[in-house]
Amino acid sequence: MIDRPLPPGSPRYHDAGAPKEPVPTSPHGGEERVRVLSVLVEDGSSTLTKVAGMIRRRGFHVRAITVGPSGESGRSRMTLQIDAGHAEVDQVRKQLERLVEVVEIEDLTEHDVHSRELVVARVAASAVPELVAKGARVLELGSVSTTIEFAGEGDEVGAFVEELRRHGNLDVVRSGPVVMRRSA
Amino acid sequence: MTGADLLLEALEEEGVDLIFGYPGGANLPIYQRLPDHPKLKHILVRHEQGAAHMADGYARACGRPGVVFATSGPGALNLVTGLCTAYMDSVPMIAITGQVNSTQVGRDAFQESDVIGATSSVTKHSYLVTDIAQLPRVIHEAFHIATTGRPGPVLIDICKDVQMAEAERTPRAPMSIPGYHLNGHVELASAKIAAEALAHAARPVILAGHGVLLSHAEQALLDVAEKAGVPVGTTLLGIGGFPVNHPLSLHMTGFMGTGWCLKAVQNADVLMMVGMRVDDRVTARLADFAPKVTTFIHVDIDGSEMGKNVRPHIELVADARNALEAMLPHIDSVDEGRSAWLTQIDAWREEHPLRYTHSNGHLQPQDVLIDMYKRCRNEAVVVADVGQNQIWAALWWNYDRPGLFINSGGAGTMGFALPAAIGAKFARPELDVWCVAGEGGFVMTAQELSVAVEHQLDIKIVLLNNFSLGMVRQFQDDFYGGVRSQVDLTHIPDFVKLADAYGLPGVRVDKLADVGPAMDAAERTKGPFLIDFRIDPQANVYPIVPLGKSLNDFWEAPQQ
Repeated sequence: MIDRPLPPGSPRYHDAGAPKEPVPTSPHGGEERVRVLSVLVEDGSSTLTKVAGMIRRRGFHVRAITVGPSGESGRSRMTLQIDAGHAEVDQVRKQLERLVEVVEIEDLTEHDVHSRELVVARVAASAVPELVAKGARVLELGSVSTTIEFAGEGDEVGAFVEELRRHGNLDVVRSGPVVMRRSA
Repeated sequence: MTGADLLLEALEEEGVDLIFGYPGGANLPIYQRLPDHPKLKHILVRHEQGAAHMADGYARACGRPGVVFATSGPGALNLVTGLCTAYMDSVPMIAITGQVNSTQVGRDAFQESDVIGATSSVTKHSYLVTDIAQLPRVIHEAFHIATTGRPGPVLIDICKDVQMAEAERTPRAPMSIPGYHLNGHVELASAKIAAEALAHAARPVILAGHGVLLSHAEQALLDVAEKAGVPVGTTLLGIGGFPVNHPLSLHMTGFMGTGWCLKAVQNADVLMMVGMRVDDRVTARLADFAPKVTTFIHVDIDGSEMGKNVRPHIELVADARNALEAMLPHIDSVDEGRSAWLTQIDAWREEHPLRYTHSNGHLQPQDVLIDMYKRCRNEAVVVADVGQNQIWAALWWNYDRPGLFINSGGAGTMGFALPAAIGAKFARPELDVWCVAGEGGFVMTAQELSVAVEHQLDIKIVLLNNFSLGMVRQFQDDFYGGVRSQVDLTHIPDFVKLADAYGLPGVRVDKLADVGPAMDAAERTKGPFLIDFRIDPQANVYPIVPLGKSLNDFWEAPQQ
């Protein structure tokens, strides 16, 4: 894409007071390529395939996708982590907005958010005390193995999954994140 | 009443007068009820792709959405190319396809296919109707979505049991589509800044695309250009949006645009792009596009076009006409350097004229088109196919007022011209319609000649026949090492006999002296007329920017 800076003294668009959200930048410089979006969609048999099809055909990549019922009847909430791929980062949101099934989008990238993920794992009984000390909760005590759950921010969940691996876990499932902007 | 009746009544309410379609197993209940709705005239096509292109040509010619019927499975899938063509060029269309019974969906029933899945990437929106309670709401929603904002095709897939189900007519509820937002509103502050940037620029250029025609912004564009003294080029799809003989006209831009337009774009300091996508055919090598521009202004109704390829400094997400009209009052004093800029452009126009080989003993396509355009008298609808014929027809376009040049730009669909010309003639019966095609594209949809004959449509078919896939041949000659591979079309029908077989008159012309008399005959004849022009098999399209090069690197036709 062509993105040419304005020369000094040229008419400036932003001075006109026209609304233009600055694109958040990552600490490494440049724009954050992975966008975190909370998307309210109309329920329907084709909604998920239309969202997924758009992501594929625009050359974006899905890092995580979580779908569940929203507070409103007939609508679901999708939490998407989408890598913009070779496209401009603002295209992710703009292309989603074009879908008629998409009612509302909030771009949460680099906003202060609660981002929660859930892990459910089957572990050896011997590992349970240590994992519980790290915040896991026991769901089911079996004779051979124990099923536990752990919820937390993405990196906490990542660290917990590493911990499970050290203990030689038997089975693990991990949800994608659900994200909400912090209230204050 | 049945679901079929609810559908047909909704079409009548939407003001539909014409449907292009083809019946089959899964839409028979609709066809059973069709004769009871005489306001809806149905055109039986010979292939569903033809129906889609006819609806497309109809919509481009009159601005109302084209309507298509097709059955499930192969019927619906045959629409895909036509839907894609309309989608890429933002043409309003409603495609109504039959689907197997809702209880059979997913069981691989006879002629079942996932039409929503197959078409969702080439439609603006689509609906699967599995319950009669959705009718007629989705029909009205579909028309609203297809025709507003950035127009596009909307597909409605209706299960056969829904077509047959019975329901009471219910009063029409107010429309509510929470996920559909329109950008009609012009940010007035931005319009003012854009107007001032344009007026105060030293070397401004406006490029105008299909959005100018779609929003009927031709007059507003002319007003802005004249008041601000800014030269105007059009994209291939923007042709007809600006009078091409106007002193400020740069004619066509892009990788097969005119030399003087490309020079202007590459030397501009302020470039305003109106109602266009700024795609690769317009920019050529993106990194070298308009390298001296310090201020890009982009006007488009689709916000996702802003910064997709070029990040504008000033953006107006709005209807082109509204935006241009909002700019007009803010154009005051024009930069003093402007006359030098226009003088420079005039010099480029002299240095890089459109030219072609005249005297090698072969009939030249440009001679044919120059004769045709004389007869168009600034008002005929010209529909072109895809390939060399399309670019020649675009470059020799000569209208000194807004006009209709219809072609498949974004999708580049061969076989588009004949059915689209048929649709255009249905839409605008008062206008002459010329169909320009190469023999390669023409045979892809030639079966629709039956429709032109059946309805005795006055369509003059100008076949530019070089017995090869000319554009591919030219690319192979110039950019692929001169290896001519699979471009020979020696084995095509005798088009005069083919015309005769379909029941229309046709003549063959292979020398310049016969062009006029053949065109006279085409104009005299009621109903369709075909002329098989045997043109120079070596004729090439110039100017052309070699693949991967910048707009600066355009090649011109060899000097005589």
